[in-house]
Amino acid sequence: MTRASLLLIAALRRTAGGLLLLVGASFVIYITIRSAPGDAIDAISPMGTPPEVKAKLMAEFGLDRDPITGYVAWLARSAVGDFGESLVFAPGATVMDVGLPAFERTLALAALALAACLVLAVLGALLLGRPHPRQQVITGPLYFLTAAPSFVVAVLFAQATNWFVHTYVEQGGYETPPWYPIPIYSESWMPYLFAGFVLVAGDGLFMDFLNAVRAELQGLRSAQFIAAVRAKGARTVGHIARNMVVPLVSGYAARLPLVLGGVVIVEYIFTLDGAGYLLLEAARERDFPIVVGLSVLFTATIIVVNLLADIVRALVDPREVARGG
Amino acid sequence: MEAKAERVGLWSSGAVVAVVLLLGVVAPFVAYDPAGAVDYDQQLVGPSAAHWFGTDGQGRDVALRLLKGIEAFFLPGLLAGLAATTLGALAGAVAGYAEGWVRSAVLGLMQLIDTLPRLVFIILVCTILNPSISLIAAVAAVLFVPNIATVVRRKVEALGSEDYILAHIAHGFRPTRILLYHIIWLQCRPLLIRQATYVFGYVLFVETALSYLGDYGVQEPTPSWGNMVAQTRELAGAAPWPWLFPALAIVITISGFLAFGNLLARHEEEALR
Repeated sequence: MTRASLLLIAALRRTAGGLLLLVGASFVIYITIRSAPGDAIDAISPMGTPPEVKAKLMAEFGLDRDPITGYVAWLARSAVGDFGESLVFAPGATVMDVGLPAFERTLALAALALAACLVLAVLGALLLGRPHPRQQVITGPLYFLTAAPSFVVAVLFAQATNWFVHTYVEQGGYETPPWYPIPIYSESWMPYLFAGFVLVAGDGLFMDFLNAVRAELQGLRSAQFIAAVRAKGARTVGHIARNMVVPLVSGYAARLPLVLGGVVIVEYIFTLDGAGYLLLEAARERDFPIVVGLSVLFTATIIVVNLLADIVRALVDPREVARGG
Repeated sequence: MEAKAERVGLWSSGAVVAVVLLLGVVAPFVAYDPAGAVDYDQQLVGPSAAHWFGTDGQGRDVALRLLKGIEAFFLPGLLAGLAATTLGALAGAVAGYAEGWVRSAVLGLMQLIDTLPRLVFIILVCTILNPSISLIAAVAAVLFVPNIATVVRRKVEALGSEDYILAHIAHGFRPTRILLYHIIWLQCRPLLIRQATYVFGYVLFVETALSYLGDYGVQEPTPSWGNMVAQTRELAGAAPWPWLFPALAIVITISGFLAFGNLLARHEEEALR
């Protein structure tokens, strides 16, 4: 068979696997809903929900049927993006109308922050070069500092900002400075930049990525085929770069779930209008359709990103397809 | 690489782990009445001999609250680490040793759990069930099983074709004994220690983060490092010690545990070679 048809088969197989995973993961989410203590409908509806809304919720989540047929009915509606209507947060609006724009912002923030982290990790690995004991003067403290959870970084950051604003006001400033990172009324992208910075700096993400990239780079540089390329007098940069694509793509996909977790809390602290903020606010107000809809969106995103990473790996590295994976 | 810096790292992170373990064991025996600790004559007193880390906005001793705050994540974190490594080692051993549908079923289940976004799923569970730190730790333990199972499975697969393991098989040792004792207990301990410290660190992270946010974590007046950091909301800029010390405690404990797990695993792996 030609390479193109092999690739197509591999892509189709993985897509089918991804769909299966999505069905399985949504089943786990559904069973979690059903496992509520007492009457499930009371557990998932806000205080003082009128009976007709409760009846509608019961039908939407298939709580009036047995778990399997209830799940199938719920899945059939969720699959076309119908997660029901918001109850408290934005009464009457569909979950997708409220959730999707917010989720897009969140995904963009997480994806860009992780991309920035990847670029920084590659630059760091190139700058540091071969591991040397003396480098631990730099990497040791860095390891310590970046291990801070993102919410702690965000809090320290907000405190530092407060201090800066304080001195700014003391010096006679009275308008909101253009760099102010907490959104107030202006359509500024500064808060997103600061949130991205916090995501890169927190949760041990950067050092973890840096160490992974350094280990890969080190392994490649001492690989025999690179020695052969060098012996022939050719440049090794292209060969190393191409062989770094697979580990970098894998590393990116593997760390996205962590960033999607961190972004929930960071958005809440910076009150950014994203899916993380929405998720926590909806959870607080027991707006259950939104919580479930966003959970499914987050899960589906992780599956799709892993699928894309698989396909990119297959495109770059013929061995991935030859293994029949 | 087995340099002086690495030894320093191992000992200093080991000291952090030892101190946290010690304080975690001592904390339940220290009497503390969250309501009775309030003292409005002693608000925001700076660090002194009487109050090592000062007092907070309600005149409560920060050092004592730091100590009692350990209870919030200590036992749940340890149990979650133990449960996750046990389940993960078993799942990894089965997936690495079994063939056919058993292997596929375990691998599929692991992949399924692995696709759930951890924090989002924990929040979902908290909205449905009665939220508590024990519940959060239990869910976190299950969510970490695939990670652990993967590293154990790779090890089992790699060792399965080693001569000495084949020799054990030829000697007629039972597969369970070879798997559980010769492979997992003797060869995977460093891996498992590292993973257990990750799980502990994660439980600490989730507990403090949710307690900081306020809805599902530890509620005031019961102290948690997370809800102590949350005092920044009321105290912005007034005095740093009520929130700075807990923030530092979180960072030092998490990085201490992660570094200790990593360095100890590397140390032991070198010893195994």
